[in-house]
Amino acid sequence: MNSRDSENLKDLFARFLSDEQAESSVEDIQKGEQILRENPAPEPNSMLLANIKAEMAMRLPSRRANIFSNTAYRIACAAATIMIISAIGIRLFDKTPVSTDIQYGSLIPQNVWDGVDITTDDAELADYAIKIEQIEQELRALQSGESAGNGESSLTELEMELVAINNDFWKE
Amino acid sequence: MANSDDLAQLIIGCKSGDSRCFSQVVDIYASRCYGYFYRLTGNRDLSDELLSELFVKLVEKISSYKGGSFEGWLFRVASNIFHDYLRSRHRRKKLLDSQKEQIESQIIEPKKSGNEQLDILQMQLEKMDSDTRELIMLRFYSELSFKEIAKMRSEPIGTTLAKLHRGLKKLRELMS
Repeated sequence: MNSRDSENLKDLFARFLSDEQAESSVEDIQKGEQILRENPAPEPNSMLLANIKAEMAMRLPSRRANIFSNTAYRIACAAATIMIISAIGIRLFDKTPVSTDIQYGSLIPQNVWDGVDITTDDAELADYAIKIEQIEQELRALQSGESAGNGESSLTELEMELVAINNDFWKE
Repeated sequence: MANSDDLAQLIIGCKSGDSRCFSQVVDIYASRCYGYFYRLTGNRDLSDELLSELFVKLVEKISSYKGGSFEGWLFRVASNIFHDYLRSRHRRKKLLDSQKEQIESQIIEPKKSGNEQLDILQMQLEKMDSDTRELIMLRFYSELSFKEIAKMRSEPIGTTLAKLHRGLKKLRELMS
């Protein structure tokens, strides 16, 4: 039974009209609908219905695929959200003290220099680098004539010193 | 006609993508929906198109049906499809207004297809205003209650009752 069968037209009209008018209105409606029943609309042909059913069936697999991909996206989004929230939660609620020990890295990349004691090597390297820089500065000063030294002999002396440092470095 | 339990099972089947359930829904409602479109357009080819569109929409939108009167939901979709058609026809008409009247009369008024003859009822219906005609057809083919129709049309039930009463009375006069 549909909802129309259960409604009482006379009661419905009686809410707005007198009993007599309501009765007459119900009669008008019933006679009008009788005309529609007596003059039925054409039926859809069977070929059309078969085509419609075929088209509906054709559209179903793509709909299923869409549902599957939508579900996959939703699961991926939910998983990502859970991971982000967990990461934030761990950061916020993790009370373990953060280590304050300073870890020093080597000046020399390990794949270049494979020393036994990298800390000592670093100190020596820094020392050598400073000495070389000083000598280079003096050398540049002599070459440009700014220094008041003995000219060529001072230059040779410095060059000798530079060569000595270089040799010492590679000896160790 | 399927009882409400059978229909509920069919709709569950449709929602899970079962083509046999969709096929049964077509068998149950095709005739009424076709009558609705035919009485509104007076054209069989157009009614064929609109009916196809309705059932394709059914596949696409079945997940949005959340219970309540299935007829109400289905005929709301049918009504939307009909209004979309009216809007597209209106747009075409506007476009063609700038062109020759001869072309316009050929394209805009596809009332009859081939040797189709309109029945007397159809001819009289076309003398009525479109809103009243649509209301009469909605009531007759959807078999919805006045309460549901009034809700669907977003108007007070008294207005729906009065319009339908006037419309059917006029139709009787035209047919007599």
